[in-house]
Amino acid sequence: MADEEKKPPFPLDPKSYKLLNEIGTGVSAVVYKATCLPRNSMTVAIKSIDLERSRANLDEIRQEAKAMALLSHPNILRAHCSFIVDRHLWVVMPFMAAGSLHSILSSSFPDGLPEQSIAIALKEILHALLYLHGQGHIHRDIKSGNILVDSDGSVKLADFGVSASIYEMQQSSSSGLLRMSAAQASFCNEMAGTPYWMAPEVIHSHTGYGVKADIWSFGITALELAHGHPPLSHLPLSKSLMMRITNRLRFEDAHVKCNKDPNKKKKFSKAFKDMVALCLAQDPAKRPSADKLLKHPFFKNCKSSEYLIKNVLQVLPKAEERFKETRTDENQSEINNIVERDNAGNLPPLVKNRRVSGWNFNVDGLELVPVFPENINLDVEKEEDEDINTENSKHPSEEEKEKEEKVMHPSSVLKQMLVPSLVALFASLDLQRGMVFNVLEGCEHVGGESTEEKTGEETERQLEEYVRNLERIVEELNLNLQEEMKRNAYLEELLEKLKRNSEPQGNNSN
Amino acid sequence: MKTIKDEQTPESEELKRRRRSGGGWRLIKTLFKSCSGSKTKPLERSDSMKGLFKSKPRTPADVVRQTRELLVFIDLNSNVSSTKRDEKMAELSKNIREMKSILYGNGDAEPVAEACCQLTQEFFKDKTFRLLIVCLPKLSLETRKDATQVVANLQRQQVQSRLIASDYLEANKDLLDILVLGYEDMDIALFYGSMLRECIRHQSIARYVLESDHMKKFFDYIQLPNFDIASDASATFKELMTRHKATVADFLTKNYDWFFPEFNQRLLSSTNYITRRQAIKLLGDILLDRSNSVVMMRYVSSKDNLMILMNLLRESSKNIQMEAFHVFKLFVANRNKPPEIITILVTNKSKILRLLDGFKLDKEDPQFEADKEQVITEISSL
Repeated sequence: MADEEKKPPFPLDPKSYKLLNEIGTGVSAVVYKATCLPRNSMTVAIKSIDLERSRANLDEIRQEAKAMALLSHPNILRAHCSFIVDRHLWVVMPFMAAGSLHSILSSSFPDGLPEQSIAIALKEILHALLYLHGQGHIHRDIKSGNILVDSDGSVKLADFGVSASIYEMQQSSSSGLLRMSAAQASFCNEMAGTPYWMAPEVIHSHTGYGVKADIWSFGITALELAHGHPPLSHLPLSKSLMMRITNRLRFEDAHVKCNKDPNKKKKFSKAFKDMVALCLAQDPAKRPSADKLLKHPFFKNCKSSEYLIKNVLQVLPKAEERFKETRTDENQSEINNIVERDNAGNLPPLVKNRRVSGWNFNVDGLELVPVFPENINLDVEKEEDEDINTENSKHPSEEEKEKEEKVMHPSSVLKQMLVPSLVALFASLDLQRGMVFNVLEGCEHVGGESTEEKTGEETERQLEEYVRNLERIVEELNLNLQEEMKRNAYLEELLEKLKRNSEPQGNNSN
Repeated sequence: MKTIKDEQTPESEELKRRRRSGGGWRLIKTLFKSCSGSKTKPLERSDSMKGLFKSKPRTPADVVRQTRELLVFIDLNSNVSSTKRDEKMAELSKNIREMKSILYGNGDAEPVAEACCQLTQEFFKDKTFRLLIVCLPKLSLETRKDATQVVANLQRQQVQSRLIASDYLEANKDLLDILVLGYEDMDIALFYGSMLRECIRHQSIARYVLESDHMKKFFDYIQLPNFDIASDASATFKELMTRHKATVADFLTKNYDWFFPEFNQRLLSSTNYITRRQAIKLLGDILLDRSNSVVMMRYVSSKDNLMILMNLLRESSKNIQMEAFHVFKLFVANRNKPPEIITILVTNKSKILRLLDGFKLDKEDPQFEADKEQVITEISSL
């Protein structure tokens, strides 16, 4: 804040910025490299969030903007400013020239970064987490794609799209409570984040989760940096989620299938493996805090950012070039969400259904000219010539758009089918867990830690049995899931066929 | 946070020991000790910090009293830039953070009811709240955040089953004027905004703001170019218009004549997409609330209102269309439609029916489908 005050504030209108090129895309957002003209054409990054497409409601977006405006730490990417441009929210941020660690991995280090570079980057992120958690924030989406690097080797944590504040939470969720605590409040209940990096308690969150979910994702990110991809990412998403609930993740899990030649297997230090293992404890309470992790031997003798510049940044192609390359590899569903833009970076208007040409208000003859607000009046004029009765024949452009929508259809159908069944699956898992806990409590007779020690062996045996039971149930559910997926695949195929059949005839594909 | 961390390092062994031996409260104290552990620390401060480790630590009331003294100093010596002032400022930050720890707990430690009660009582006994608000622009970013959270929490603290924050604010209503006008200052808008939203949890305070001239200003604040501030202002505006049902109904009845024309013209017909989207959502929330049924009847009997709604209904934004539908259906459902409303609906019958026919949601919503059917049936029968 202090150093910003000397310069004029960042302008809040799009004309003051010149968009240069795209450097990243998401489902409902595009990130541009741009220059800020009134500030000596200083380079900035602008994230343009399509508010009409964004699934997040406006309150969530407000939270993100607020979080980004109020966080101030050298390892956290802070927005310069944000403002509305048409249907988009533009968030103006510092430009991080080397791009995200994810893009660095995929362009130049597909099998992972050298351990010393990993230590440098992770240490910086721990400082960011220490600050965030101290502020009562949970980031909820730690991954290499959200870790940005500048050309001077500085590392910043970005993207607060799903971050939550435990102080804000209590306002909405527990307004009935008059006396709240950070300890109580530091649990959230919604599912958020990117699946492969998600902590088990986030996936089957019935207890809620706290700052330790970030520590899990931090551990996964460590593995990602070591191997070039997150663990279990060779599995389908649903299975990966399952595995995380039922099994312990091991350091090697990230390595499965990526290196078929066992001799080529990478060697990592014991300290590194130990650090990651600590982060990936199933029980969130057993995971160390960011503060504790910083004291871990792995981060001792950590090299300076110079090392990062020499060993990683100097071998990289430029961020925007990397973006162009990786863009073609991105998965199809994301590509589908990118819409061609004109030079000004404006999205063409979304036409989802045919629009009615202007209303006819001056029926009673009292008003000769309908009192439209000006901007709407323009719309009306444009569409006035559209005849209502003959509108069954479509505009060619509209037809094209409809086709586009159809191409997207199968995947969205699949998602619609898969997601509820997955959710149901998790719900039933939770139910089972709850039942087991109930039984366990009944078995223990008396609560308290002292009795637990005495009958430790006994309870352990019981526990083991229940765990075995649970595993059997999970196995069954897993089978169900696979069946479900098979069915979905079949339905998708069917849909595909239907679509193909209907195309020559026309548009009706029911 | 990071600076605290750095200073801890030399004594980390001792820290570990302390941490093992004690819970949250002791941890907080250790944290404060390490804060004061800088080499240049003045003697008097280290003495006061040592006090923390004696058998009798400062009481919550002590913390508030000291905060107040420091605020008085900062308030009076605003223009002097001296090392002494910097010291006082640092000490103030620490005290405010300590208040936050008492109120919210720290790490694993839950807050203690008795301590919260003591703190609250002392805080509202004197002009601490006023001083904190007035001095907020002088505080550092981190301390502003802490202060905002302290103020938020205090609004809900009960002393002998009374919300004494409400009593205090009623006697000091001018503070609310300061908070509302904060939206005009970029540097403090978000902090004052958060505080304001907490204060209007009290019904009498919300009434004061609603009936003040400030209400008209919100129509400007909502459309400020700075998104953080504009959206914070709309959150406050929404809270004012929805939280206390009876008060809102009363306000709308008395102020109908200026409020809705202003709402239609400035918000629903704004050129700003986000303003329109938020306004139409809020309008639905207001009109669909049972407590506002009289106001709703009046609103849906006006031809001008219907025209604005019908224009929103044919916007290209699905979100706006959807929210507009929820209000539009009220015009149709009205059993005593004025003739001019009927005329408009009849004249545009085919267009409306065609629009509704193609109106589908991304997510399946049986309630919406049912509402749509009703509207279609009603309009067809006109």
